[in-house]
Amino acid sequence: MILEARGVTMAFGSFKAVDNATVAVREGEILGLIGPNGAGKSTFFNCLTGDLSPTQGSVHFRSQDVTRLPPEARAALGIARSFQVPLTFEGMSVLDNVMIGAFLRTASTAEARERARAVLERVGLGTFADVSARSLGTPGRKRLEIARALATEPKVLLLDEAMAGLTPTEVRQAIDLVRSIHASGITLVIVEHIMEVIITLAERVMVFHQGREIANGSPAAVTREPQVIEAYLGKRAARAAHGATQ
Amino acid sequence: MRRALWPAVWFSLIGAYPLVWHTAFQQRLGALVLLYAVAASAWNIVGGYAGQVSVGHVVFFGCGAYGALAAYTHLGLPPIAGLPLGMLASVLIASVVGVPTLRLSGHYFSMATIAVAELVRLIVTNTQFLGAAIGLSGPTVPRTVMDLSFTSSLPYYYLFLAVLVGTLALTWWMENSRMGHYLRAIKDSERAARSLGVAAGRYKLLAFMLSAALTAVAGSLYAIMFGFVDPESGLGILTSVKMLLMSALGGTGFLFGPLVGAAILVPLEEISNNVFGSAGRGLTFVVYGAVIMLLARFQPGGLLELLQRHVRRRLPKTGARRDP
Repeated sequence: MILEARGVTMAFGSFKAVDNATVAVREGEILGLIGPNGAGKSTFFNCLTGDLSPTQGSVHFRSQDVTRLPPEARAALGIARSFQVPLTFEGMSVLDNVMIGAFLRTASTAEARERARAVLERVGLGTFADVSARSLGTPGRKRLEIARALATEPKVLLLDEAMAGLTPTEVRQAIDLVRSIHASGITLVIVEHIMEVIITLAERVMVFHQGREIANGSPAAVTREPQVIEAYLGKRAARAAHGATQ
Repeated sequence: MRRALWPAVWFSLIGAYPLVWHTAFQQRLGALVLLYAVAASAWNIVGGYAGQVSVGHVVFFGCGAYGALAAYTHLGLPPIAGLPLGMLASVLIASVVGVPTLRLSGHYFSMATIAVAELVRLIVTNTQFLGAAIGLSGPTVPRTVMDLSFTSSLPYYYLFLAVLVGTLALTWWMENSRMGHYLRAIKDSERAARSLGVAAGRYKLLAFMLSAALTAVAGSLYAIMFGFVDPESGLGILTSVKMLLMSALGGTGFLFGPLVGAAILVPLEEISNNVFGSAGRGLTFVVYGAVIMLLARFQPGGLLELLQRHVRRRLPKTGARRDP
């Protein structure tokens, strides 16, 4: 197990955004986290990355307890992430953005610059290296998020809706990028709204609804579960779908 | 080599200034510009690069000023010997104040620093050891050259120029190092920076301490030149505002921003003091208020950003300001 959450609960006052969630991410897999809006995916995700400290439960990285470690310490261990709404360093060039990630593994500016250039080539932003990051559009910014995260040389990469807001062509390019990252040996956890993306990429899917895990398994099996259909489409649709399969 | 050409040309022009404009007023004006440029450049490290807008930097300025004159008053040493003392005190204060306040974001950090500065001013006003409300004085007649007490402003001019060059060289080195990159990342998005492994709290504190130490140097030089410090001149909020405003006018986060800002605001203040005399004292506040409003409304990035945009538009391929 590369990353594990045991009984994680995240409460805001009396409201439990995540309620007793347990997940084990296996080394080398692509795990999908799905669920309707407000299901608690992003909150759970933030507990894994250290942006939030869970009210109960624990998070483990390669059997080391990291529950109380801040995000920067988890990044140093090899947990990297992207943000749903890109948090681009707007005052810098695209290259400088990626150098911030590269500096985690080297103190030398020249070395960080070289590594950042290599990462930019890899994600297809090579020609934009010296452009101001402010001038990038949404697809470019999403790609830059991934490039920055890759520059930290992560063991596991968590992508938070990395494809939301992209056109179908851009989504296909992004899927190819995620596949190539996976092929390089990085474990992936992806939160995604677009079902097509999850079905093409994930080997295993966890479905969230109202802060709880309601299903877990292969994408094909999970999408047949009545509870999942109910969560997405409502009770009547679930009954209809259930009747159809009988 | 070509990158070093323009700064070299500029610094030789700056070096020649007091020889060309050699009246006492002009030389004193030049020295003051350089002194405030040192203070504003020190502020720029934490306020400009790291984006943590301190409005209490006068505390560190005061540490330097009081350190220098306390060394003379109580130990009979040349004031310059108090400089390390002032630096040490300001780094200590920065670390004690920085740990809790740097966790605050945006305006809350600024307000906390104002509170600390006013608190220190009140404490010093009531401390006999530091001259209380009357303040401390330096040697009236120089005992040795080490007292650095001159009637002409010319020696001060070159002393301040040397310190400014040192400050800017240190800032330049920091800007190009990992720390400089990290500070700019923290300024843009602390959350994203931390997700990439930047220990934001530690780097902000480091920047705050470095900035405090350099501000103390400016404070000591001020006390040595004027031979006098009291709670108003050494710990008044106006000095904090000056440092901030000079950086902001020139361009926060630009190496030469504070120097440009000082070169505009110091003459403005000195000339208005000369023309309006003591009646012009309130006018300084009015002018600074106007500068704040104009900057916030029209050019928050400062003058150098305006220049940079203009140059970029004319030469589209010089986008990489920070790259060789």
